[in-house]
Amino acid sequence: MQKRIVLDLDLCCGCRSCEAACKAAFKGEARIRHGDIAGVAYLPLACKHCKQPLCLASCPVEAITKDDNTGLVTRSAMVCIGCKSCAFACPFGVIDAPLVRHISQKCSLCADRDEGPRCVAACSSGALQWLSDEEIEQHEVGMRMVSKDLFFRRKA
Amino acid sequence: MKNIDPKTITIKRALCPFCSFGCEFGIIFNDFGIKGVEYVKDGNSNGRLCPRGSAAAMYLDHPRRSTMPLKSGKAVVWSKMAKELRKVVGSPKSVAVTFDRNVTPEEYAAIVGFCDSVGIGYTASTYFEPEHNLRPFLEKPFAPADLDKAKIAFVLGDIFNQAPMSSRAIIEWKMKDKKNELIAIDSLNTHTAGFASQFLRVNIGTEPLLLLALAQENLDGVDIAKVTGIDARVVKELSNKIKNSSKGVIFASLPFGHTYDPGLYAESLDRMHEFSGMKVVPFVEFAGYEGSQPFVSIMEMVKRKKIKNLINFGELFPFYYPQLAGSLKGLNIYATSTLKHTDHTLLPVPLSLEKEGTVVTTFGKRKLTGNIEPPSGAKSVEAILSMLSSGSSTGKMPHAVEKKIDVKERARRIAEITETKKKSFKLVGEKVAYNFLGFLEGEILKINPYDATELGIGADDIVTIKSKYDAADLPVRITEDVDQGLLAAPAETPAVRGLFEYEIDSELQAVNFIPTEVKICRKG
Repeated sequence: MQKRIVLDLDLCCGCRSCEAACKAAFKGEARIRHGDIAGVAYLPLACKHCKQPLCLASCPVEAITKDDNTGLVTRSAMVCIGCKSCAFACPFGVIDAPLVRHISQKCSLCADRDEGPRCVAACSSGALQWLSDEEIEQHEVGMRMVSKDLFFRRKA
Repeated sequence: MKNIDPKTITIKRALCPFCSFGCEFGIIFNDFGIKGVEYVKDGNSNGRLCPRGSAAAMYLDHPRRSTMPLKSGKAVVWSKMAKELRKVVGSPKSVAVTFDRNVTPEEYAAIVGFCDSVGIGYTASTYFEPEHNLRPFLEKPFAPADLDKAKIAFVLGDIFNQAPMSSRAIIEWKMKDKKNELIAIDSLNTHTAGFASQFLRVNIGTEPLLLLALAQENLDGVDIAKVTGIDARVVKELSNKIKNSSKGVIFASLPFGHTYDPGLYAESLDRMHEFSGMKVVPFVEFAGYEGSQPFVSIMEMVKRKKIKNLINFGELFPFYYPQLAGSLKGLNIYATSTLKHTDHTLLPVPLSLEKEGTVVTTFGKRKLTGNIEPPSGAKSVEAILSMLSSGSSTGKMPHAVEKKIDVKERARRIAEITETKKKSFKLVGEKVAYNFLGFLEGEILKINPYDATELGIGADDIVTIKSKYDAADLPVRITEDVDQGLLAAPAETPAVRGLFEYEIDSELQAVNFIPTEVKICRKG
């Protein structure tokens, strides 16, 4: 895979700009969602485009495919029958079970947009970043602690 | 079937009108119309866009977008509407003209000029959002250097959720130097508070009292610690730290129904500024015109049956204040709007995104681009005015009159409210960008786990909340972010906003929407 979405949890302010960007672009589909770890953090959840995707394995109609070159796991809207097998198979729970327009909601890393995913472009605090493997290695993620408050953020 | 040629895709730049941060973005058009938003790197927010900005394209061609004049929900052609309006303004003594925050200074000048030329004497502001009290602080624009120099910053309210674009600069400033202190003040636990070095969780509506105490104002007879819930030692230490520090910033927001006295809130910020030299940076919705006139006088005229017709320019009034309906009984209301409503007579107008003109942002005055065409049935304010009168003139902008308020008396009043034993739940308003007009998600009611257990309410249940004005059904979220006895909801749609109680502030002649007593039960 050429680039990945990287989450710097220290920076996420829980505004759901990412989710809004996704929902607005994909007509109501929230392909990135949020998890709320009560009292600790807000956690944007996006498809990890797994090396061996269980959603792909579970799909009875081969609507989900993996591009060997880019690593992108995509769902064909035309083939998907809305059986929710992928939603139940996903170990990260990033494919939302409720269907939109009778098909599952699957992140495509905004393959239609040259500049990368819209959730990253919209992210208000810069918590979501679009990085290559080399950039990730050089990037400091999760090393800074923003708050001293044990209650909500990790302690400094 | 028509093939889409990718070359026909065009991107039109616009200034986001949905908060005072003034982000820029592009609206993508293809052969079929609006396709979405594009993130422009050289804009004010470096291409980032909060949920409101992302929803902008949804707003532009929303199914509820108004494209025809409506009379109690029924479509009327413009020529017929113009005839009716001409008849109305033909008796100027029985007409009042009002305007809310969505009117630009240029439009405002045209409206005032029109009123002068036809002899309409009753004009007033319907910008009732509590945040309008913070509007004067926008006169001194914020520059990123103000924060760079600061060693301490206060945040009042959940600004990371209200104006998410503010978050990056504040978080970076805090990470830059471990000694930089971020102090959050709010009655609700918020995401913004989660980033704070110190979170002062005050009792509901007592923020102004804490600010006055920090500014070492003498509030005889008010026990600050008891009323605000913040230890006197903490207040004293912090107050000494900020005294004459000048190197600091106070970021302030004031959502609908969040505090008892918005006038005192603004005054206390002013006193904090005088005491510490810290700069006050408000986060409000776009504000166009600069004048302020009391709507209370219009209400009085309606009561005395002197006014029969009211024309409002803007987008909020009367649809977003249903609780005022009682005091406006018998009045024919003509209101400009960008969304369809079934009440009153509606005149479709362009969104701020589609206008030309000036707006005031946190960073100073900006020009709206006017690049995007409004729906064909919408008419600009100037076009509506020209239909009603021949010739055009521009009026003068009245300057807001500075009014002195009795701080001690007002502080005592808040103390009394706080000390009164609660008989029922208090509903507090929040401002959450993601809930913008309910386009992306409807409002969710927050309730404390203890209260939820007492009432037999479980996660994701739907509850009915009733105030003296109305009732609404909302899904619940059980969270310790709200204290016991409190309920919090973003006040974005008329259904929720209509629950909030209003008070007339006789000193400032203002209409204030305040935390409200409500009853709650599981639906069904």
